[in-house]
Amino acid sequence: MNKRLLDYLLALLIILTLNFMLPRLMPGEPITAIYGDALVEMTPEMKSHLLERYGLDRPLGEQFAVYMGNLFQGDLGYSYYFRAPVAQVISGALPWTLLLAGTSLLFSTFLGIVWGVEAGWRRGRKFDRASLVTAMLLNGVPGFVLGILLLLFLGFYLQWFPLSGGASPYLGQEGIARAADILRHLFLPALTLTLVQLPRNFLLMRSSLLGVKERPYVMTARGKGLRERVVRYRHAVRGALPPVVTRVGMSAGLLFTGVFFVEVVFAYPGLGHLFYLALQHHDYPTVHGCLLLITVCVLLFNFAADLFSIKLDPRLRENARQLLGRT
Amino acid sequence: MLEINDLTVKYQTPRGALPVLEGINLTARKGEVLGIVGESGSGKTSLALAITGLSEGRLEGSVQFQGEELLGKSREEWERLRGSTLSIVMQQAGEMLTPVLPLIEQVMEPFLKKHPRQKDEAFRRASAMLHKVGLEEHSFYRYPYTLSGGEVQRALLAMALIAEPELLILDEPVSSLDALSKADILTLLEELTGECTVLVISHDLSTIARLADRAAVLYCGSVLETGPTASLLQAPRHPYTRALVRSYPSLYGLKELQGIRGEFPSLGERPGGCPFHTRCTQALEICAQQRPGTVEKEGGRNLACHRGGVVELLRGSGLKQRYALKGKGKDPYLEAVRGIDISLDEGEVYALVGESGSGKSTLGRMLAGVDRPYAGTVSFQGQGFFQLSPAETKKAKRDLQMLFQNSGEALSHRMTVHELVAEPLFIQEVGDPQTRREAVRRALRWVYLPDDEHFLNEYPHHLSGGELQRVALARALVLEPKVLIADEPSASLDASVQAKVIKLLLQLQNERGFALILITHDLALAARAGDRVGVMHEGKIVEEGPAADILRRPLHPYTQSLLGAAPSIGGANLAATGMPSPAEPAVAAAEGPNGKPACSFSPDCAHSCEECFRYVPPLVRVGFQKVACYRYA
Ligand SMILES: Nc1ncnc2c1ncn2[C@@H]1O[C@H](COP(=O)(O)OP(=O)(O)OP(=O)(O)O)[C@@H](O)[C@H]1O
Ligand code: SF4
Ligand code: SF4
Ligand SMILES: [Mg+2]
Repeated sequence: MNKRLLDYLLALLIILTLNFMLPRLMPGEPITAIYGDALVEMTPEMKSHLLERYGLDRPLGEQFAVYMGNLFQGDLGYSYYFRAPVAQVISGALPWTLLLAGTSLLFSTFLGIVWGVEAGWRRGRKFDRASLVTAMLLNGVPGFVLGILLLLFLGFYLQWFPLSGGASPYLGQEGIARAADILRHLFLPALTLTLVQLPRNFLLMRSSLLGVKERPYVMTARGKGLRERVVRYRHAVRGALPPVVTRVGMSAGLLFTGVFFVEVVFAYPGLGHLFYLALQHHDYPTVHGCLLLITVCVLLFNFAADLFSIKLDPRLRENARQLLGRT
Repeated sequence: MLEINDLTVKYQTPRGALPVLEGINLTARKGEVLGIVGESGSGKTSLALAITGLSEGRLEGSVQFQGEELLGKSREEWERLRGSTLSIVMQQAGEMLTPVLPLIEQVMEPFLKKHPRQKDEAFRRASAMLHKVGLEEHSFYRYPYTLSGGEVQRALLAMALIAEPELLILDEPVSSLDALSKADILTLLEELTGECTVLVISHDLSTIARLADRAAVLYCGSVLETGPTASLLQAPRHPYTRALVRSYPSLYGLKELQGIRGEFPSLGERPGGCPFHTRCTQALEICAQQRPGTVEKEGGRNLACHRGGVVELLRGSGLKQRYALKGKGKDPYLEAVRGIDISLDEGEVYALVGESGSGKSTLGRMLAGVDRPYAGTVSFQGQGFFQLSPAETKKAKRDLQMLFQNSGEALSHRMTVHELVAEPLFIQEVGDPQTRREAVRRALRWVYLPDDEHFLNEYPHHLSGGELQRVALARALVLEPKVLIADEPSASLDASVQAKVIKLLLQLQNERGFALILITHDLALAARAGDRVGVMHEGKIVEEGPAADILRRPLHPYTQSLLGAAPSIGGANLAATGMPSPAEPAVAAAEGPNGKPACSFSPDCAHSCEECFRYVPPLVRVGFQKVACYRYA
């Protein structure tokens, strides 16, 4: 377990270092690389203030120390486009992303598991074959295309859902009304994202179930007279789930790519959308901040999935304990 | 009560529906333990799965438990039956328990299914049951992947028993275990099964012998023989049962291992007719064409064989032989054989033991039709040998071959190997020179001798003792006899060659399927090689019975003394050491003080009493043995 934690910390350090080094490896002064176009509009005082605050004219080592120090204080730089500290800009967007990613993750995982189990259990039968075809088709449609289609049909044509944004502005709603408004806005992006991830989870679960379906313990469970549903979900799925969870965890990167496209399509005010805006307006501090946060999110997500699959599968727990014993 | 009637199970395969079980009829009374034995692939597990509704195959016929028809039940009905009325412990095949759920939770499940709310009670019962099957508390919450095979087997048993079933099915309950755990679990099973009807399945005869009251022998999806376990295994009547018992290693400890000749047919090529006919030594034409029906025999035995089980090939009744003695006083005759009844079954190995001079060879020569008995009859395949017409006698002699003592040395040194081996063919006028040569070659190959021209034209004085003995064996087998009487086939050879010749002889017996009378003075060898052993003493058989019984529990004081004298049962030569060897060949029967005939062993017997000197004790049946001694009369 500790070994795993160390792995993750190491990964985090590498990411931070990269995030620090990349702009500074570009030709020209670091300040030009970091602030780009915004420099043109800056007064000399602002420029010297920046130079001093971020130590941009000092040797690389000192710059790194300052950079890390700032990070720990939550200082990610200043965004000239938004005219606010990057940290503040990002923390406004983060909850939306977490809400969207979380919802779609929850639904796509849960539905993917159930769908995969039900299809795999009936391997080769009609339901299974239909499911496979559906999943393949769905898998072939890119996320943003799917988003646009849903947007056009459910949002634009049927007008069941709002077209964009995370909540209706200027209404000043409170409590339930606001929550309902947020959910209405969440629906289409979350649906899109769920549909994007569903086929992968379905396929993962199905193949993992096929791997355990013929195991003797499933027969044992049936032999002792357990109901078919119990055999399926208590015995077969328990055995088949851990690898699925691990794989879902490993696909966190894909989840956030998905979030990015969907947020752009639906103008959903999360990190992806923010990133897109910042990129359009050459607001590099924000771009870097977003990248940093997303990679950290991916890492955290991987870590959580690891922990969860260890919890699900005592064999992994044993491994982890043994590793710990050895290190 | 479990009643299986005409059960057929067919598996759907890409090559079509393949039957794995055909026309199974079995019953097990309440509280009875019914054993099913059979080789791997004979359909044992398929039967277990069919009875518990877990079979993937197509089922026909009927399976009734307590009058309720089980076939054709719906999934829900099966779910209700399993884990309450009937329980199954499946054959170990990898992960038997869900690896990620704690053991005790899985053991509780069957009880919780019946009583969903009583979690505490379930826990209490599960722990009690786990204790009973010998698992310690610290194992209760372990995950099954950390348990050993034996622990898993115990847990499975606990899981099956917690449901308090009325029908318990155990599929290979101990096969995956080491000897110690196996003994443990068998003891446990004996204790725990109690009231319920049990179907125990195993390829392991000792498990069946230990647990089952009655047993059924399954071969290629058919039941060939059923009966009370003890009599079935000790006195098998079906050729297959006998072969199975013979090929089983640990049941009789010291037995020389004999496989069953031929291969177990694969599922796709099940033989028609009697499923065993491709390997049976006594198959007739009808065996390949028609399935034998099951016939009830005495002693609760049932048999499916066109010939009513293993048939008797050779029988000698009241055989006596005497040789004239020259120049001796009042009794001019030596009575070498003094009244012997003996029989030999198809494909059987009968080992005849006795010290030299006890009359073994004389008996062998009479049985082979070489010498005419002074009294008594020999019948071969039901016909009196010495009453046959000359033509019939000639034909019978083809099927009855004798390998004489020292026959290797006795081979004519003026004939080539080819002439020697071909001679019986010549005498019997079999084939033309071409086919005879082929037959000679084949016979030489059987005994692992070269069959090239060079060797065929070799003369005996160029061959070693072992080679000569094998040439003699080839000569005896070239006519493919049904019976071979081998008189001390290895006695004149040195020890290592001896072992080889015996091994070869037994191997050939198994492959060619002839019946063998092996005459030897070595009781250890006799017990290892023979299915049955007859012990001869001064012209009479004093004890006879299954080799294992004779070895384990010799009844006659003479047999006991032979065994006691055996230096090592591993097969060393008995004659070399302290076997009581008669200084003189017996000239006259032992006589009591009053001049009446007495037990021939009485002069040497430690148990002799007055009675023993009064009569000659008759051969009486004790269990599966026969013994001639007053102590058992
Ligand atoms: N589901 C199935 N589909 C097709 N063939 C099967 C199936 N199950 C078993 N068989 C075949 O049926 C035959 C009998 O199998 P079964 O498992 O009953 O043998 P067994 O007597 O229990 O053998 P063992 O001693 O090895 O356990 C084998 O040839 C096997 O390959
Ligand atoms: S004699 Fe015929 S029926 Fe009997 S076991 Fe042999 S082959 Fe089968
Ligand atoms: S009958 Fe008497 S003398 Fe003969 S073996 Fe038995 S006990 Fe000994
Ligand atoms: Mg089996």
